[in-house]
Amino acid sequence: MQNNKAQIKLWTKQQTKIGKRAVFPLITLGILSSFVAVGLACCMAQILGMLLVPSLSASISFSPLMLLVSFVILFLLKGLIIYSEDLIAAKVGLQARHRLRKELVGHIMQIGPSILYRQSGGGLASLIVDQVESLDGYFSRWLPASVLWFLAPCIILVCIFFVQPWAALVIGVCGLMVPIAQAIFGIGAAVAARQQFLAMTRLQARFLDRIQGIATIVLAGRAEDEAKKISQSANELRLRTMKVLRVAFLSSASIDCAMIISILLVALMDVQHFTSAGEHGVTIPVVHALFALLIIPDFFAPLRSLALAYQDKAKLTGAAASVVELPEAPQLLENEVLLTSSDPVHIAFDEVSYVWDEQRGNAVDQISFEVQPNSTTLLIGASGAGKSTIISLLLGFIKPTSGKILFNGIDISTIKHHSLSALTAWIGQKPVIFSGTIKENILFAKPDATEAELQQAVQAAAIDQYISALPNGLDTLIGEGGYGLSGGQAQRVAIARAYLKNAPLLFLDEPTAHLDPATEQDIFTSLIELSKNRTVILATHSALGQQLKGNHIQLDHGRIIAQTEVK
Amino acid sequence: MSDYKDPLLQQETPKAAFQQIFKIWKPHVASLIIGVLFSLIALAFGLTLMSSAGGKIAFAAMGMMVISSVFLKILGAGRLLMRYVERLYTHNVMFKAIADLRVWFFARLSKGAAAGLGFRHSGDVLSRLVSDIETLDGLYLRLLLPFAGSILTFFVLICVIGSIHLPLAICIAVLYIIAGFICPLISAFITKRHGQTLLNSVAQLRITVLDFIHGLREIRAFGAEIRVEKLLNDREKNLFQKQYQQAKKIALMSFLSFVFSQIAVLLILAAALNIGFHGIGAAHIVVCLFLTITAFEVVIPLTRAGGLAGQIINAATRVVGVNKGHGYDVPKGSEEASEQTDIQLNSLGFQWNKDRPWVYRNLNLNIAQGERVAIIGPSGVGKSTLAALLLKVITPKEGSITLGGKDLAVLTEESVRKKIAWLSQNTHLFDDTIRQNLLLSYPQATEEELWQALSEAAVADVVKAMPDGLDTWLGEGGIKVSGGQGRRIALARTLLSKAPILLLDEPTTGLDADTEMEFFKILNQISSDRTIILIAHRLTGAEKLDKVWRLSNSCLISEK
Repeated sequence: MQNNKAQIKLWTKQQTKIGKRAVFPLITLGILSSFVAVGLACCMAQILGMLLVPSLSASISFSPLMLLVSFVILFLLKGLIIYSEDLIAAKVGLQARHRLRKELVGHIMQIGPSILYRQSGGGLASLIVDQVESLDGYFSRWLPASVLWFLAPCIILVCIFFVQPWAALVIGVCGLMVPIAQAIFGIGAAVAARQQFLAMTRLQARFLDRIQGIATIVLAGRAEDEAKKISQSANELRLRTMKVLRVAFLSSASIDCAMIISILLVALMDVQHFTSAGEHGVTIPVVHALFALLIIPDFFAPLRSLALAYQDKAKLTGAAASVVELPEAPQLLENEVLLTSSDPVHIAFDEVSYVWDEQRGNAVDQISFEVQPNSTTLLIGASGAGKSTIISLLLGFIKPTSGKILFNGIDISTIKHHSLSALTAWIGQKPVIFSGTIKENILFAKPDATEAELQQAVQAAAIDQYISALPNGLDTLIGEGGYGLSGGQAQRVAIARAYLKNAPLLFLDEPTAHLDPATEQDIFTSLIELSKNRTVILATHSALGQQLKGNHIQLDHGRIIAQTEVK
Repeated sequence: MSDYKDPLLQQETPKAAFQQIFKIWKPHVASLIIGVLFSLIALAFGLTLMSSAGGKIAFAAMGMMVISSVFLKILGAGRLLMRYVERLYTHNVMFKAIADLRVWFFARLSKGAAAGLGFRHSGDVLSRLVSDIETLDGLYLRLLLPFAGSILTFFVLICVIGSIHLPLAICIAVLYIIAGFICPLISAFITKRHGQTLLNSVAQLRITVLDFIHGLREIRAFGAEIRVEKLLNDREKNLFQKQYQQAKKIALMSFLSFVFSQIAVLLILAAALNIGFHGIGAAHIVVCLFLTITAFEVVIPLTRAGGLAGQIINAATRVVGVNKGHGYDVPKGSEEASEQTDIQLNSLGFQWNKDRPWVYRNLNLNIAQGERVAIIGPSGVGKSTLAALLLKVITPKEGSITLGGKDLAVLTEESVRKKIAWLSQNTHLFDDTIRQNLLLSYPQATEEELWQALSEAAVADVVKAMPDGLDTWLGEGGIKVSGGQGRRIALARTLLSKAPILLLDEPTTGLDADTEMEFFKILNQISSDRTIILIAHRLTGAEKLDKVWRLSNSCLISEK
């Protein structure tokens, strides 16, 4: 847990460091914007000064028209700064999200399929899509604001100081009150929030939980009671949220308060100054007083932006918690070996063990066997006997905890996985059908296949039998998760992929586990056809599968209990 | 690759959606209006404060004392206090309204067929819908309140400046309308128009990412890493392009809004120099200037807030449209089910939609009270549809179903569900204690009855061994217990309901073979006066059954 916290801190620090480099143009623009604001306030103060004290016109070296023109130029400049700030911020956000997403995808790709045994696919997808999207504000708003909240007011304060030192002092002190007040209320809000946080998340989770189980509730005839309970929970959630907000609003009120106090003080002190001075003594200070008053909103604007962007900051910590949960990517080996596909492949298991979970013991327990080129091997056993683990080991999805798997005498863990995957075709229990057309799904195995090759694969997998019933034939669209194809139809797509790939090794992991007997028979007919002239390893516990000829290896609790050659 | 439509994302038209939302919020109308008033008072304090402060300096510079310092201090304190009160009040009111929306959403969801046997709807989609409800507080807090404020500001501006110099007031009013109403409106339209395409782009990216994650094995096995990375990159680029286009348009609107606000200031400054507008007193100019600056400060953030409109409209249409197209009209019955519980299907026919093929037609079946039967068939043949028909979640298009001789159509839904208890892989274990989970099916159950049900489901010993016994927290989706134990607790809950008919729809999916066998052995021992209907794609051989029916090609064939 402690370790986790440190990792989260490290990751957020890294992100902040990378992000800060990108926001440099935004900070520059922000500073420029402060200077322009000073210029605008100057123009206004001068014009008003001339208006209020007509004798002043002589002592000011600018002509009225020039002041108006420079006002126009300055506000157009400020408008352009705002516009470019918006565009640059959008770009910065896009780049940061792109970088993060690319890193995450690369990381997961490197870990490979084994990550699915540890984390839910839905959670990973929402990390890559939604959480990364939600970080936009952190990079485009929070990071520049976190620098500018201090820098921009300082610049303005220095400008005020040159004009009217005591006004600068008043505004500076008021400005200083903001971070202090925010620290006090912020701590208060944090304490209140921490107290409420657990209760709040629990209530939110409760609502989600009830919605996910709504079928159960309705069919138990309890929908109305639950609606009442949800109403109570929602109200409780409101009361708790309000408790937090009561303090949180105080902290934003502190900015308002500081600004109003500085306006009042500056205005009242100016007035005192005017009334105590004589008619001629006040000429220049009127302009100065007005300038100090007019610039006050600009002085507090960066503090406001910081408060507004504060919620973006929390999102980074949220994302960090999900990122550090990802397992570490395996180290790339220095001298990886290529397997040439021309040689027939001989496979050997040498005392291989694999442990998924310490508590459940070895899933595969010191197994040794050999597979000759172009032979068929059957792994037979009940579920939990270790069949799927062996197939996953063969595919390189996981690495043996101990022992070695040798392909033509080379340790599998030193073989480049590209060259391994070039040699193997695999059909699992439930093939993943990607969103797209059936044709695209088959071509996934070999995107550059010719039309003739495609047709051959379609026929061999007997897809043409059901294709005629579909509206657009091979170009029929299939939705997420193979929606629209039955289990048998999806399995045929997987068979067609294997045909198209035409690899010398074929690994089959209970390809008919989710099918009814009639479909199972059909699929096996196609599979036997596919198995010709290939090295096949089939994991199965179906009676039909066990009728196949070849080397039958009986497994139980991760051990080989019998090995027979069936001819 | 392709467009994919999420079945839960059926949307309502924006107009109908907002009508519905305002209907739900009707009880809060008075409070919502009071909230608007509070926010207007706070704003009025702000406007007066700024123009008075300017005025005070101006008059003082000319040697007059018109505005007292005490008045300014009162304004300052009033502004602070009102702003705080207003924010608390409006948030509180809004959260009350949001709570009502949540309850409405839940009730709405529970009425649709989606609720009945919600199969396809992933938790992910639902959680997004939950956050959509949260987005809707922006409708009041971030759109309505600022908009009301800008209208008030508009009138104050016109009245004050109008009383000083009418032509100037008209010019400033026009500029205010452009900066404060037209620009935000255009940005709202921009996001509304882009909203749908943006959502589609995100959906596309999400599908590709889901394919990438779930297809990791395929990708590794077929060496497709580079192809998939490229596809992901393209999808992201597509989304970014659309986001950037929208950002560009909104930024342009913000720019225009700012420029128009500054033109207003420019006009007053010109008037100060006696250019364009003549004959306005110096002090009046100062008041006008400070008022105008403050007024336009109110409207400049509006353009960006207008950009939220698209988000809010989307959220509203998704929340209100949650069951659209899934609300299957089930005839409201009035009679109670009889004691006798024979089930009969009489030439039953069903199709989900007129343009979709019949799931089955002319289906006939008798299940006598106390019989144990199985209905098997491959997936997609309509087994679960049959479960939905029996539970009166959907209603036959042809023929009828009778329970104890009475047509399901004349029975109340409650009485049907009191007779038929449902257990499937989708039966949800709630993030609550075991006790609360059990009580869901029979709230009046005594301690003894709870243990009775648990021991019938062969899980009493397991629960006894837990440190907190019945009060053990199950965790999200029953994560704290093993799959087999969870399914048995769900069975105990089903048994507790005292329903004479148990409808088990693939109750062992997702369990390993040993656990599955064990589950059926337990089922075999359940007292024999209950009817058991088992729906499955295959039998394990461990089930004790009186009859087995195979459902294929829209008809039932007896196997035993």
